[in-house]
Amino acid sequence: MRKKRTKASCALALVLTLGGTLTGCGGGEGGGSGGKVTLRFTWWGNPDRAARTDQAVKLFEKRHPNIDISTSFAGFDTYKAKLATQAAGGDAPDVMQLDYRQINQYATSGILLDLGKHRELRTKDIDKGLLATGVVDDKQYALPVARGAEAIPYDAALWRKAGVPEPTIDWTWADWTDAMRKLKASKKDIGGRVGSTDPGQSEDVFEIWLRGRGKALYTEGGGLGFTADDLTRFWEFTTKLRKEGVVAPAEQTTQMDGTVENTPLGRLKAVSDFNWDAPSSGYDPIVGKGLKLAPLPAGDDGKPALYYKPSMFFGASAKSQHPKQAAQFIDFLLNDPAAGAILGATRGIPANDSIRDKVLPKLEGFDQVVSAYQKQFEGKLKDPPAAPPKGDASLQSTFTRDYDQVSYERLSPREAAENYITEAKAELKQ
Amino acid sequence: MTATATRPQDAASPAARAKRAPKRERQGAAWVFLSPWVIGATVLTLLPMAVSLYLSFTDYDMFDAPQWVGFRNYTQMFTEDPRYWRSVITTLTYVVIAVPFQLVLALAVAIALKSVKRGKGFYRSAFYAPSLLGASMSIALVWRAIFNDGGTVDNLLSGVGIDIGGWINKPGWAILSVALLTIWQFGAPMVIFLAGLQQIPAELYEAAAVDGASWWRQFRSITIPMLSPVLFFNLVLQMIQAFQVFTPAFAVSAGKGGPADSTLVYTLYLYDRAFTASHMGYASAMAWALLLAIGVVTAVLFRTSRAWVFYANDNNEGAR
Repeated sequence: MRKKRTKASCALALVLTLGGTLTGCGGGEGGGSGGKVTLRFTWWGNPDRAARTDQAVKLFEKRHPNIDISTSFAGFDTYKAKLATQAAGGDAPDVMQLDYRQINQYATSGILLDLGKHRELRTKDIDKGLLATGVVDDKQYALPVARGAEAIPYDAALWRKAGVPEPTIDWTWADWTDAMRKLKASKKDIGGRVGSTDPGQSEDVFEIWLRGRGKALYTEGGGLGFTADDLTRFWEFTTKLRKEGVVAPAEQTTQMDGTVENTPLGRLKAVSDFNWDAPSSGYDPIVGKGLKLAPLPAGDDGKPALYYKPSMFFGASAKSQHPKQAAQFIDFLLNDPAAGAILGATRGIPANDSIRDKVLPKLEGFDQVVSAYQKQFEGKLKDPPAAPPKGDASLQSTFTRDYDQVSYERLSPREAAENYITEAKAELKQ
Repeated sequence: MTATATRPQDAASPAARAKRAPKRERQGAAWVFLSPWVIGATVLTLLPMAVSLYLSFTDYDMFDAPQWVGFRNYTQMFTEDPRYWRSVITTLTYVVIAVPFQLVLALAVAIALKSVKRGKGFYRSAFYAPSLLGASMSIALVWRAIFNDGGTVDNLLSGVGIDIGGWINKPGWAILSVALLTIWQFGAPMVIFLAGLQQIPAELYEAAAVDGASWWRQFRSITIPMLSPVLFFNLVLQMIQAFQVFTPAFAVSAGKGGPADSTLVYTLYLYDRAFTASHMGYASAMAWALLLAIGVVTAVLFRTSRAWVFYANDNNEGAR
């Protein structure tokens, strides 16, 4: 008797536990409204952006007592995964912040609302070039919020202490390497820190490096714009510096997770980092007064390899119950001067020309740093690359992961580069 | 019971009426009472399982409709994906470290607690607490901080001259910190062991003591065989859970399975394929492969259990 029962209960426990293998996820969220219209608005970003966005949302609610905005935000990686799942389940938020790489997929899958049809949403002040980046199949599915540029945030105080010359707009990768080696030579003066984050882990940095050599991540036709040889050269360059102890070791690099707090500079283990200009505001409370932005090294021809990228977009759900209010809210975030003053450069330099010209000069603090940083490139940048093709969404993390194998010396730069090319071709269905 | 049936004059009593009620009606009541569970199991478990089985034969990126690809996900997984096999090996390493150590620790503490006279309740709760807390994300994050460079463990060890640095940034050490988190949660199997220990008749120990058996002898010849069904239960349960480890590996590596894929356990790779790379079909195929693998391992354990699990009542059954 007892034997049977033990077996039966073992089997039952087994079945229940196994069931968990396949259906691991759950959860959800609810929102109520008392005769009011409630809009869900989600974005990714750092605490600074969250505080300012909440302030702007409060102002909007005050002006529109009948509209409630329920907000939520997360780090980029988490946000991306969650939004994709929500969208696939037909439960996309009414208003969502979108990345350049998401627009095409979300628009062609019927998730986004055609915002061009909504008169509430004015676009006459939005930069024409940027506006076009939110168009898919001749429809304005998403509106650019701001433009961003890649930057080297660095601690200028320590830089000076080490006697390294200030970066200039036309410094090259060779100049950058010299600066890093000099920083290492005066390690004692800078608290034992290394010069920089290892650039090998960042696809964004690789893109600028490629552009400096007249190439691009992707061709116009959506194919890969570089070969395993190019990537090998880049990773051999960074590996040499890592082995010299000039850039951060693998143990630091592997901890990077998209937040500024977990970068070597954020952990006060390095003097500089690579990041986009607006999100670099996150270093401000950590580094303090010395924080400055330097341009990424120029190409072999001495011309800046950087480009302005639409840093993010706002879009509305095609399934939203309140498309009109969603359009109103996006209009407020993009065009209202008061909202512009609150949001400043937290999402990048605003795409709205009049806000950029009238509101921005009055701002203070890190907003000014970002504004001045972009101003120096005015009229000097080459054309931005073609929009990233469908299927590239996961390649950024593939890049970082393959380099992880290089920095822990599990794979040679050549082997890892071949791996990356193989996976990239499979993802892009080439 | 038999008495009731032979006395017709009792027919009016409620008990007897219930007994004579049509079988169908009684089954209906049973279904009504079971319905919360049945509905839950169907909608939340069986249906998603069926969908997942279907998806495992498709190419599905969550945006476009699933495309039927036959067994391609499975063949790709087994023959073309070196990362898949790396995740399998990482998971096996983890299971082999975490499960035996956890069970040995649970048994040792259970035996020690059995003889504790004062403050029994306190000790039991104290050792059980990690099992209640351990599965949570917050504890996993604390774990990440403790084993990071400059964390508690790093400081303690370098204080006594052992300079490892942060465990979570060293391939080889990182999976150990994940396993330690599991081992630390030995409370659940411990409680089951305690219950099992109390079932062992005291006469057996008394008789053995009279015969002059040592503690070790008693442990080997009485405790282990008498406890073997409980040991078996704990082993199977902990093993199934260990194969599905996710949260600690996710937290310790910030969701990436690093450094250098050393904490990329099976379910973390599954998550990566599903939510980072948007290959839902491939991820579903991985889930089914895991289900089958756990099923096979469990079946093997049940087979071998015939040789080493001892059921005290077997003899009685035979006598009847």
